[in-house]
This record gives sequence, structure tokens and C-alpha cells, in this order.
Amino acid sequence: MTVTPRPAPTARGLLYVVLSIGLVGFAGPFVWMVLSAFKPEGELRRVPTTWLPENVTLDNFRTIFTGLDFPTYFTNSVIVAAAVTLGNLALCSMLGYALAKIEFPGRRVLFLLVIGTLMIPSMVTFVPQFVLVAQFGLVNTYPGLVLPILALAGPLGVFLMRQYISELPDELIDSARIDGAGELQIFLRIIVPLAKPALATLTIVTFLGAWNNFLIPLVMAQTEDKYTLPVALALYSVGQNSTKFGLLMAGAVVVVLPVLLIFVVLQRYFVQGIAMTGFK
Amino acid sequence: MVADAIPVRRPVARRVLSLRARRGLVAWGFALPFVALFAAFMAGPVVASLAMSFTDLRGTDLRNPLGVNFVGLDNYVRLFGDEVFVQSLMNTAVFVLGSVPLTIVSALAVALALNRGITRLRTFFRVGYYLPVVTSIVAVAVVWRFLLQPDTGVVNSLLRTVGIAGPHWLDDPLFAMPSIIIMTAWRGMGFMMVVFLAGLQAIPRDVYEAAEIDGASRWAQFRFVTLPMLRPTMLFAVVITSIGQLQFIEEPFVMTRGGPLNKTLSVSMDVYSQFGFGNYGYASAMSYVLFVVIVALTVVWFRLLRPR
Amino acid sequence: MVSGRWRAVVGALTIFAAVGCGRDAGTSGGEGAKPVGEGAATGEITVWAMGTEGEKLGGLAQDFEAANPGAKVNITAIPWDAAHDKISTAIAGRQTPDVSLVGTTYMAEFAKSGALDPTPSVIDGKQFYTGAWDTTVVNGTSYGVPWYVETRLLYYRTDLADKAGVQPPGNWADLTDFAKGMKDKSGAKWGLNLQAGGKGTWQTFMPFAWQAGASITDDAKKFTLDSPEMVKALQYYKSFFDAQVTPSSLLRPGELEQGFVDGSFGAFFSGPWHIGLIKEQGGAALDGKWSVARMPKEANRTSFVGGGDLAVFKDAKNRDTAWKFVQYLSKPEVQVKWYGMVGDLPSVKNAWQDTKLSGDPLLKTFGEQLDDAKSPPAIATWEQVATVIDTHLEQVVKGVATPADAAKAMQSEATSIGTGL
Repeated sequence: MTVTPRPAPTARGLLYVVLSIGLVGFAGPFVWMVLSAFKPEGELRRVPTTWLPENVTLDNFRTIFTGLDFPTYFTNSVIVAAAVTLGNLALCSMLGYALAKIEFPGRRVLFLLVIGTLMIPSMVTFVPQFVLVAQFGLVNTYPGLVLPILALAGPLGVFLMRQYISELPDELIDSARIDGAGELQIFLRIIVPLAKPALATLTIVTFLGAWNNFLIPLVMAQTEDKYTLPVALALYSVGQNSTKFGLLMAGAVVVVLPVLLIFVVLQRYFVQGIAMTGFK
Repeated sequence: MVADAIPVRRPVARRVLSLRARRGLVAWGFALPFVALFAAFMAGPVVASLAMSFTDLRGTDLRNPLGVNFVGLDNYVRLFGDEVFVQSLMNTAVFVLGSVPLTIVSALAVALALNRGITRLRTFFRVGYYLPVVTSIVAVAVVWRFLLQPDTGVVNSLLRTVGIAGPHWLDDPLFAMPSIIIMTAWRGMGFMMVVFLAGLQAIPRDVYEAAEIDGASRWAQFRFVTLPMLRPTMLFAVVITSIGQLQFIEEPFVMTRGGPLNKTLSVSMDVYSQFGFGNYGYASAMSYVLFVVIVALTVVWFRLLRPR
Repeated sequence: MVSGRWRAVVGALTIFAAVGCGRDAGTSGGEGAKPVGEGAATGEITVWAMGTEGEKLGGLAQDFEAANPGAKVNITAIPWDAAHDKISTAIAGRQTPDVSLVGTTYMAEFAKSGALDPTPSVIDGKQFYTGAWDTTVVNGTSYGVPWYVETRLLYYRTDLADKAGVQPPGNWADLTDFAKGMKDKSGAKWGLNLQAGGKGTWQTFMPFAWQAGASITDDAKKFTLDSPEMVKALQYYKSFFDAQVTPSSLLRPGELEQGFVDGSFGAFFSGPWHIGLIKEQGGAALDGKWSVARMPKEANRTSFVGGGDLAVFKDAKNRDTAWKFVQYLSKPEVQVKWYGMVGDLPSVKNAWQDTKLSGDPLLKTFGEQLDDAKSPPAIATWEQVATVIDTHLEQVVKGVATPADAAKAMQSEATSIGTGL
């Protein structure tokens, strides 16, 4: 589709070498993390740290999958992350389209509201938000877990979608309007198919945030059957005076796998998607 | 004739008006979920936290928040006399000045390399350079401390081979912040790399071809084709990176706990501590000062990188 | 004979008062405390406990339910990570459980907010170690009971001590010689490890301050950080760094245990959890080569006591059963059983008579130290004051401030922070 001039073959070879050396630095900690998940606790406390495990052990993973109620925590994480992601996709694309392509009163104010919310440090609204959720009677419920995270993820998603959709040609939409198509029809039939790349981008970003969120599930869940994976793993790994690093690393590996899977699957759209972002 | 003309015009006029009105209604319909969510879960907390910043609300007042004292701008005034806060503000400024350019430049460099430079293994490299974004901060900290260890670490060993005695990276008040800057840029680069990769894909080939026909060198092409056309993406990347990095907390927390002697303490860490102490009013005021800084920087970026 | 016995009673009272000297010898059944109903417990209660305590408490809950048919105990384990946030937000949103494990340093803040129920008079504070009990007393009233305790001792390598020809220290001068001897004559790189700064340094330092006779606050809850005794203690702490018998930068996680095992660290101060860590790291090869010793003496041999308290919330739905469960957990035999389950040291004095504790030489020393161990004052602003102390300790250790200046600065900063009570 787009081809930018390529450097000469030798320069390209050198580039591969440089990139590979750089890759060692970038992937290093991740590799250490995965290797450490297979180490026993004593070895992990060694200073300086080891790389390849001296005594490979599956105990950490065994604890995660059998020692704690993994299915419940995993299911909760999936429910929360999926609900937030799907909700965000719908919400952000609709508002993004409206802000980008529909002239309506209050459009500017709304956009400023979105950007403004993006800039508020999230720590400051944390406690008042919990009190509010408690008053709604949503503590320890799935909506109580999902909606606050959704409120947090919304602004970035709206910004992303608005930037992308505003790049789509007006003619397409105008001619549809002249033909008498309603906005909802235009949105579903024209915008959504064209915005697939941005939607993929949004999926990855939202999923990563919702899946890894620790504080909101920690505070919103009152019984262990509503815990998500990050909360459960923190419960079992971090003690009052010492931490089980092996368990922590194994937990980190388990938690990162779905995220990487989604990244790898969607990344071809992902790239194309943010292409249009920021265009105004 | 006149009698014929008017009926034709009026229905059309009415249709156009109501179309616009209808469109406005639909637009607000599209906006409704976000607005409802915002109104329900953000509006109240934002107003409440802003109000909190004008009171002396503390942990001991949590059961009776409405009974606190209104102290006006007291918290804000106190902030600027608070040595620790002022230090954290300066640290954050230094950090952002270093980290944002470093993150953006390295992300752009890697994106360029993975875009025009190589053809094979693109997915492999993309995933690899993205990994720091998803690696557990604990693992990141262990490996980086391993690298920066004064005696046995890789960095100082390499420096020793060229005759330089490397410093105690994380313990030295002078070198702790640069270490954090590099580490945070390393960590944040992956996300921006993908942003730029996409942005680069969108530049049409004809523009490059035209430039090449005109005899432009590759560096000139970069300067006069790539960079200008990348402007909008650059704006998004810089704004999002700035907003994120102005609130940096994880890296200094895990590597140096804000030390040595508070030289790597960030504003967010100070906010977090103050919330931990139960000084809710003070911590809220601090957060809103940070908000003002974020807004200011965002406005600057929008002015500088406004699309032409 | 009568006069003799009278003198003994007076003597006992004096000793008791002396042990509680300078502290709020607060009582249960204080202001606002309501009685607890008689008979067996009924109904449901929710209990929060962190980490391993949360995971394992179910075992004791079952025993309680067996003894009190009609009672049900629902336990929710919460992570230690952000436990304070969790409880604070629960208080703010009125979503508190009936009972919760609470870190000793948070009791005052929660009590002052009105979230905790005062301890009923049926629970006698004297059954607990004084230092631990004091963590529950805010403004003269007790809120909750100590559940388990930990205190700090000197861990040292006995074989290295023999090689250096030094004995476990009796007083301050001995400790200095001990540390120097370990470093110079036993082949250890560091004679002693003291925390050089950062969060929690006060826990290593305060024992020395208390040993010198200094205190953080006085009876009237006014700060007394700027005293000659405090300066003396700061000077003493600094002397180890000046003599370079202890590292002046922070250790990495795992470095201390590994160093102790391989002999580069001769000694360090810590709590009972290190017993397990050293055994795990050192294995059988290290058996018999290390031990623990009590704090050295200056004016006294005071150590730090921490641990966890149990608190019942004001908004508890079933207050009666909540307190009955707390009483159950304070029974000496239950405390001993709990030690067996998770290794938490009992806060109840009588529990220590059990051979599981008194028969173990290492644990016995911990028990002895508990008789002379203090906790920081139960003030709502403790976390913030602790940070002030940590900051100035780091400055003293790094030579950026003199002990006298640091003490003055700590005093003025602490006073401006206030006690929050």
C-alpha cells in the first residue's frame, strides 16, 4: 500500500543487527520474568539474580491453578475486561463519530469535557467515586466493578475514535445523508466498517487497562468470589513482611498471556488504525 | 405562480430544519452513554474532590465528611511552602523534560527502522519492542537493578572497559533521576512506537517518489516529507505521553522509593503518600495543581503542533 | 506479715505502673464501650483478614462455629497490598465488615474517625503484652485487641562471633565492640546491618531511642523528639555508619538473607519472620551457626513491638458475635493453635507458657523481649510522623545533618503535623 524508500542491502543488514541487539535489551526483563516463574523461592532471592533456573519447578504455576480458586478469578477478570472493552467500543465509537462528523449544538463543549476528563489525575476521584458507588448499592456487584473502569477508559477512547473518524472522507457521509439515511444507519453501515482498524486499537488499549486494573476491583469487591486475577494474585503473593516472588512472577506470566494474544492477533489492524489518529 | 412556489419551498425548509434538529438529537443520542456514565461516575467525584481541596478533610473525618472546615486556598498556599512538594514538582519537571523527548524520539526511530528498514520478522520485532509495556514492574525493577548495580552490573562493567568509573546509579542524587528517565522512556516507548508505525503507514508513496525524483536525500525526505506529514500523529503521541509521564509513579516508587534524599520523588508519589497519610484535602489540592500543569503542557503542545 | 504482704502488693503495683510508665495505661470498657451479651454467639459476622491470616483463619472459624452452633463466620481475605486503602474507603462508604485485622499503626486513625467500637470491659487488657495493648488505646480508650505480635531481636552468626572472640552484646558499648569485632576479625564484610534510610527506618532506630530513655510523645501527647536522649541515640546510630561496620546504602531484596548465610553480614536486627527465611535460604548447613539475642541495654533493653490488632466496627451488623469471636481468638489455647497454623506469635501472655513456644530456644528469646517492647504512640498522624523520622534519619546517616539539628527538625515538623487526635 505505501512503500517508503528502502536503504541499501548492507545498510539493511546492519539495521537487523542493531535491532536485534536492541531487542535483547527490550525483551530482557520479559524473558527474565518468564524464566523466574519456574524458579523456587530461595533461588529468586539470590543476589545477583540468576537467569536460567537452576532448579526448575512448576510449584508456582501449580499453586496458581490449583492452590487458589483460579477459575473464579479468571472468569471475573474475563467478565470485567470483556464488558469494559465491548462497552467502550460502542460508547467511544458512537460519540467519536458524533464529535467528528455531526454538527450539533454543544459539540465543542462536549469535546472539551472529554479532553478535560482525560487530564484529571485518577487518584483524586477514587474515594468519592467509591462512596458514590456504595450509595448506588453497587458495591460487590459486576456493574460496580465494570462501570467505574469504563468511566476511566472512556475519554481516551473517545479522543482516539474522534481523531480517526474525522479523517474519513465527508463525501461518503454527505451523500448518504442526501439519500435520506439516518445517522444511526450511517454509523452502522459506513463508519463502523471503515473504522475497524481504530476499533482494533481501542480494543487492545482498553482490554490491557481493564484486565490489569487492581485498585478498582480491590475496593469494589467485598467477597472473594468477586475478585479478579490481579487482586487474587496480590493476596497470595504479598505478605506483611515478605513477598513470594516466584508466585508473583508466575502470576504476572499468566496475566500477560491473554493481553499478548490479543495484541498479536489484532496488531495488523492496530498499526493501520492509529495511522489516522491525531489527524485534524 | 406565487401560490405554487410557496408550498414547494416551505415543506423543503421545514424538512431541512427538522433534519438538522433531528441530527442534533441523534448526535446527543450517540453522546448519551458517555454523558450518562460521566454524569453518574465522574461528575460527582470531580466536584467532590475539587471541593475537598478547599477543606482540611482528613482520614479521621471519613465518616463525617460534611462536617469538615472550609479553609479556602489554605492547602494551595501551603503546597508552595512545602519543601517536599516543591522538590517533587521540580523533579517532575526535570523528568518530563528528559523523558518525553527521549520516549518520542526513540519510538520514532524504532518505528522508522521497523517500517522502511526491514521486511522480514516485522511482527517478531514489533512484539519484542512492545514487551516492556506489558512486563511486570517487579521484573523490570529486578533486571534494571541488576544492570545498574555499581560493582557487578553490566553498565558499569562496560564503562570500566573504556576506563570510566561508573557511578552508583540509583544511590547517587545526581544520577538517580537520569536512570529513572531512561528506564521510563524504555518502558513507554513500545506504545508510541506502534502509534508512529501507523502514522508512517499513512504517508502516501507518491510524495516520497516525487521527492526522490527531485533529488532529495533520504535525510531530506525525512525532514520535508515524513516529519510534516507525521505532525498530527506526533501531536497525539506527545500529548498522551506527556499526560501519562507527568503522572509518573511506578518507576521511581519501585526503583528508588523517591530517594536518594527525595531526588526522584514525583508529584504523583507525593499525592499517593498524602492520601496514605489521610490528608485528603491537601492531597486533592496537590492533584489539582498537577492537573493545571497537565493542562498547561497540553495547551502548549496543541499550539506548537497545530496542524497547518 | 501484713505489712510485708502490703509492701509486696504496692511493689507489684509500682512495677506494673513502671512498665506502663509514660504510656496511656488505657482501659477496656472506656468511654462509649457497651457490654457484650451472655451466652453463645449467634448469627452471621463478616471478618476481613489480610494475606496468610485471611487464608487460614477459616480453620479457627470452624472451631468457633462448632462451639457456637447458630453462629456463622464469613471470612474475606484481602491483600496486604493497599489494605489501608481498602479499609479507609470501606469506612468512607460505610461498607465495613463486623471485624477486621488492622495493622497496629492504623488503629488510631480509624478509631478517631469513629469507625471502631470501644473494647467492652469483659475483655481484660492485662492479659496482653503492654506494648501490644497500647496500640489499641487512643485517648485513653481501647478499641480492639492485639491479635498477634512481633518484636525485634539481634540475629547473629554464632560461628563468626566465636571466631572474632565476641559475645552477644549486653550494653551499647558491647554492641559497638561486637559489630567492629565481627567486621575486623571474623572475615565478614559487614559487622552489623542497620537500615540506612527509606521507609521503615524508624523501626530499626526507635529501639535505640527508647533504650536511651527518649520517647516520641509524652503523657500529654506532646511530641518530645528534641531531647538529649534522642540526640544521644541518633549519635549512636550514626556511629555505626561512620565506623563503616554497616552499609550506608539500601540493600536489594534478598541481599541481607543471602549475606547472612554466606557470612558477609555478621548480624542484623529483625523480627520472627526471618527465622523461616534464614532456614529456607541457609538450609541444614547453617544449623547451629546462628542465633538471636536481646537488645543491648542503655537505660533499658526496649525493643519494638508490632503485629496485628483485631477491631470491631461501629457499623457492625452483629456486634455481639463479633466481640465473642474476638474473645475466642484471644484464648491462650487458640492463640497457640494459631501459632501452629501460621507462625504468628501470640499477643496473650499466658499462651507463651505452652512448650511449643517456651520450649523453642529462639522463640523463648522473643518471648522474653516482649516483656520490654514498645510501640509508637497511637496517634492518627503516625504514618506521616514516621516519614519525617525516616527522612531525618537518612540525613543523619548520610552526614547531611547533625543529630542535634535532625532532632530539632523532627520535633518542629512533627509538632506542625500534630497528632490528629
